[in-house]
Amino acid sequence: MEHLPHTRNPRGSAGSCSRALGVLLLASASVTGWAQAAGALGPADIEAAYLYNFGKFVRFPAGAPQDTPTFAICILGEDGIGTPLDGLVANESIQGHKIVTRKLTAPAEVANCQIVYIGQSEEPRIERDLTALAGKPVLTVSSVSGFLERGGMIQFILQNKRVRFAVNLTAAERTHLELSSELLKVAVRVDAKPALEAK
Amino acid sequence: MMNSPFSRRSIAARLTWMNLLVSGIGLFLAYFSFLAYDLFVYRQASVESLSGLAKIVATNSVSAVLFDDDTSARNTLSGLSGSNDVISAAIYTTSGVPFAQYTRDGSSLPAPRKLTGSNRQQSWVYGRDVETGSRIESEGKVIGTVYIQARLHGLRKEAIQYATIAAVILLVCLAVALLAGIIFRRLLAEPIVSLAQTAREVSRSKDYALRFSAGQEYDELQLLTEAFNEMLGAIQERDGALEQAKAGLERRVEERTAQLQAANLEMEAFSYTVAHDLRSPLQAMSNVCYLFGVMDQGQSSPQKVTMLAQLTSTVATMSDMIDDLLDLSRSSTAELHLSRLNLGSMAASILDGLAKVSPERQVETIIASECAVDADSGLMHIVLQNLLRNAWKFTGRRAMARIEFGCLQRGDDTVIFVRDNGAGFDPRLADRLFKPFQRLHGASEFPGTGIGLATVRRIVGRHGGRVWADGEVDKGATFYFTLHAEPGVHVPSLDAGSEEPH
Repeated sequence: MEHLPHTRNPRGSAGSCSRALGVLLLASASVTGWAQAAGALGPADIEAAYLYNFGKFVRFPAGAPQDTPTFAICILGEDGIGTPLDGLVANESIQGHKIVTRKLTAPAEVANCQIVYIGQSEEPRIERDLTALAGKPVLTVSSVSGFLERGGMIQFILQNKRVRFAVNLTAAERTHLELSSELLKVAVRVDAKPALEAK
Repeated sequence: MMNSPFSRRSIAARLTWMNLLVSGIGLFLAYFSFLAYDLFVYRQASVESLSGLAKIVATNSVSAVLFDDDTSARNTLSGLSGSNDVISAAIYTTSGVPFAQYTRDGSSLPAPRKLTGSNRQQSWVYGRDVETGSRIESEGKVIGTVYIQARLHGLRKEAIQYATIAAVILLVCLAVALLAGIIFRRLLAEPIVSLAQTAREVSRSKDYALRFSAGQEYDELQLLTEAFNEMLGAIQERDGALEQAKAGLERRVEERTAQLQAANLEMEAFSYTVAHDLRSPLQAMSNVCYLFGVMDQGQSSPQKVTMLAQLTSTVATMSDMIDDLLDLSRSSTAELHLSRLNLGSMAASILDGLAKVSPERQVETIIASECAVDADSGLMHIVLQNLLRNAWKFTGRRAMARIEFGCLQRGDDTVIFVRDNGAGFDPRLADRLFKPFQRLHGASEFPGTGIGLATVRRIVGRHGGRVWADGEVDKGATFYFTLHAEPGVHVPSLDAGSEEPH
């Protein structure tokens, strides 16, 4: 269980290295808690892995992403998550679609994205961004505080030094995204309309 | 009552035992095979359901593992408490670190085993304990493994239930076998036993008037009983007839014996009287003849003298005849007085007497010095006298007459013999020798009464012995006899030295 200390350093040029990290994170996802406690992996690494894992528990409405050959995880704004994510998802696929990452500079470029991660740099514009993304079949994820209250779907929360997440089910359902109960089960909080009996 | 169940038991008991044995063995075989099959099926079903549980847990733990939520994983595992068999469960990461665990009553955790090959799921069975492992996969990748350990409490319960049922059935079988035994005893064994007892009683007491009694239910037993009764009846009937015949026979024998004895006595008395009464007139005649001869010396004509001699000889013959008849009569009536006798000396004195009567004859006599027997002295004298006189008589025409008296041992018997080299006899007529009044030689040739040998046979017979003769015409004769009046005879050996010429 030797986990090499990982930082948000630029990833190595060799593909095998990034892949090694991916496999490590994937295969030892359960160890992340231990790793976090040991300070081996930073929150960005964990968040990157979770971002990728979210894709496994989301059912998109008809039309997306079945029409596209790829499963795109897009990052709007600037954030440290980009580098570890690139290393993680190289040569990985979700629901049979190859995973690609993209950098967005504006919400308008969201076409063909399945997951949009809104970086810390977007905090001032967060409401505008969310408005722009409203109605699009895209899973919105962010670490920005108050994200769910402003209409975001999944927000990372640091709880007892561990990365957890909360879900705004109402927001997800508004865009006809179906979040698996498995996912809701492990969320620290699920905001939903009372009628909707999420966990 | 439990020891050696097959040795000495009644038929019913043996049958009951056999019933019990057969049903017991059958039951045990059935019990064990059913139990084994049931336990096997039960275990397989348990393993399968456990595998299902493991699979469900694995599926439900994917998100927990992926998002590092051990609380959720524990929640999932704690759902296993619904199964009584599950004693512990754990989720291990791929590197073998326990991620979440569940135990019932502090049981030890299942060990992380290695799933072989590409198996997503595998089970290990150790007696009552089963462990199942199931891989947790996400997007085709293994992210952890669930292990569930279970103890199949039902196995023991199942076995106990089966054993209870088997015991109950065995008890029922026992009761049925005992009942069958009782019924069998009443219906079959008891009649047979009573049959056997009656048969034994009959054979012990020889009371063939006994009869078997049996019920009417079974044809074969009835037949057997009837056959026995018929047999007994037949035996009884035959017994009665035999008894009657025996009684009749005995009565008849007694009657005949009495008649015979009476007739015999009468005849003996008659012949004795006749012989005795004839003696006096004969004596008178003899005396008269003698006086005639003395008084008429040289005066009568030669014819008269011849006639007188004839008369005298005839009277003498008649006297002899009467003597012989008296001997014969005495030989059958006189009581036997056994004493130790030396027949040799008796023979010697008889031959001496004969030699004195006919001093002109040259006779070589060979007499065994000792020939001791137990016999009646008077009767033995008659026997020897008859035999020796015969020998003397029939050697009358021999220039060198020879008479031998001796005895020899043949087996247990002492055989006494008188041998001569006289006229002999035709061996074909030997059986007529000992019959009274049967003569093989004409009276003109050798005078005789024909009674002597009959007397010999009677006396020897009364001594329990036997008499017989060897001979050929003109080559002499040998008369043998044996005596069985115990005790035995002292006999010298047969070598020539013991026989001395006389």
